[in-house]
Amino acid sequence: MNVFITGAAGGLGRALANECGSRGYNMFLTDINEAGLFRIKQGLERQFNVTVTTKACDLTNPHSVDKMLAVLDTHGIRFDMVLNVAGCDFEGGFLERDREKLVKIVLLNNAATLRITHALLKRRRQGRPFSIVFVSSLASMFPMPLKATYAASKRFLLEFATALRQELRKDDVNVLTLCPAGMVTTEETLCGIKAQGFWGNVTTAPLEDVARRTIDCALAGKGVYTPGLMSRLLSFLGKFVPRSFVAAVVYRRWHHAQRKWMRADIIRS
Amino acid sequence: MKTVVITGATSGIGLETVRLLTEEGFHVLGIGRSAMNCKRAKEHISSHNPNARIVFFQADLMQQRDVLRVAEDIMAYLDEKSGGQLHALINNAGCVRSWYMTTEEGYEQQFALNHLAGFLLTHKLLPALQKARGRVIMTGSASHKGIKIRWDDVMLRRRYNPLTAYKQSKLCNILFAKGLNDRFAHSGIRAYVVDPGLVKTDIGNKETGSLVNLIWSLRKRAGVPPEIPAKTYAFLCRQEPAPEGLYYRHCKEKKYSGQVTRENADRLFALSERLCGLCDDTARQERTKAV
Ligand SMILES: NC(=O)c1ccc[n+]([C@@H]2O[C@H](COP(=O)([O-])OP(=O)(O)OC[C@H]3O[C@@H](n4cnc5c(N)ncnc54)[C@H](OP(=O)(O)O)[C@@H]3O)[C@@H](O)[C@H]2O)c1
Repeated sequence: MNVFITGAAGGLGRALANECGSRGYNMFLTDINEAGLFRIKQGLERQFNVTVTTKACDLTNPHSVDKMLAVLDTHGIRFDMVLNVAGCDFEGGFLERDREKLVKIVLLNNAATLRITHALLKRRRQGRPFSIVFVSSLASMFPMPLKATYAASKRFLLEFATALRQELRKDDVNVLTLCPAGMVTTEETLCGIKAQGFWGNVTTAPLEDVARRTIDCALAGKGVYTPGLMSRLLSFLGKFVPRSFVAAVVYRRWHHAQRKWMRADIIRS
Repeated sequence: MKTVVITGATSGIGLETVRLLTEEGFHVLGIGRSAMNCKRAKEHISSHNPNARIVFFQADLMQQRDVLRVAEDIMAYLDEKSGGQLHALINNAGCVRSWYMTTEEGYEQQFALNHLAGFLLTHKLLPALQKARGRVIMTGSASHKGIKIRWDDVMLRRRYNPLTAYKQSKLCNILFAKGLNDRFAHSGIRAYVVDPGLVKTDIGNKETGSLVNLIWSLRKRAGVPPEIPAKTYAFLCRQEPAPEGLYYRHCKEKKYSGQVTRENADRLFALSERLCGLCDDTARQERTKAV
């Protein structure tokens, strides 16, 4: 099995790479962080008997992506699975954010993800099933004031994946969307979850479980995977409540949590 | 003047041990993870003892690149100031985590800091320890008893349990000490583990979730102040000739787990060498030459 992973030097990317390594899959990893890529490659090769190839790339830059694809083509590497993990968010309300950073959310979470998915489908291993995984978020299920751009970008992935799944079924391609709430991947995410208090705690899913089940779901041909009972319940209930009401509730909750989070951030730095 | 390197020197047991060792006249090189905490610790030590010989080095020991960098800095320092000799290395830095989190290499954090960091640092400082026929001391814990190493999943990716990960890392400490003795006792190096007992420090309150935080806050109330375990480190650094035991508490040898066998120690040694990238030929040649 050959797996292509974007955002592989980050917390979820590393956990997924470990999971693939433990299953004996060979991997091609990319991330904007070149030093981080080198380290995770080392870690994987020391732990598992697998081949890991890496190439740093800015996925929002088409030239950078072309260069990376050229590496794949020179070596004739072909894939059975692509894990679109790379994504970003910047904390703060719409007007408090830097304009270019806002645009970057869409450029990376959506435009770059389309670019990679398209390129990898063209480089799939022939005669075998192919899996695509999109990392969306529980945020994709609701309108999220104060996280509006991020949530909408994740909603885009969910909608797109649902349609693409139907379109590519005949070609033996499975499309899975992962919709996690919080996961503790870094010190920052830990602070964010703590700031959300009770709801942060009950919707936090264990990273290693999410990684294992994501691959299981992809191989089993599932369409959406929302980790955690509470998150599944929230996403189910969300379907019956008027969206404007959800927006009002979410606004109150995030307003409070973000203030706390930002304060913790100031103390930390 | 004898030189001692100690990790996790900026708070808790480590900081108190630094204070005691400098008072006893050792030249101490402390390693701390943040520059700010290093500065604060240095001020704390100097306020107690203005003549203390103490230098701090900053390194995030969770990351192997930082372990390698600080080891190089320390070797250079030792060459310049103490004829390349290191009397003792105390691997004390440690952490508790509530969730499965990984380092840059993708290694589980408690395993990486509590065991691998000390393993790698010891290997890199080995030439200086051998020159001084030095000692290596690990901070272990009685919690290493009643647990086995999960050889098929040492990073506990299947069913991660924070306490199991912690206990296992403490069993690793003692297996590593045994592995060191088995390999290097003939060249004069001795390795020990100190069981500090339950100590009133903030270890369970750093970067942990609400539940672990709460449990630790209640539990640590029953702990002793760090001055108590500090005495055992000073004892093991000071005693001549070097004591022969492996596991110490209150300056006395204590019984340890039946899991501490040569077979397990060798297995962990080989695994840790691989995870620290010490397996390539040049590294191996260098080590045998040093022995
Ligand atoms: N307290 C107990 O009851 C008890 C019992 C048995 C064993 N132990 C062991 O005792 C040792 C010391 O713990 P403690 O109780 O004294 O807790 P502590 O006060 O939290 O000390 C831990 C030390 O490790 C440092 N550290 C943490 N992460 C690090 C990193 N990534 N890189 C470098 N240094 C890092 C900390 O630095 P900062 O100062 O910057 O946080 C601190 O100096 C640990 O190995 C622990 O497992 C403790």
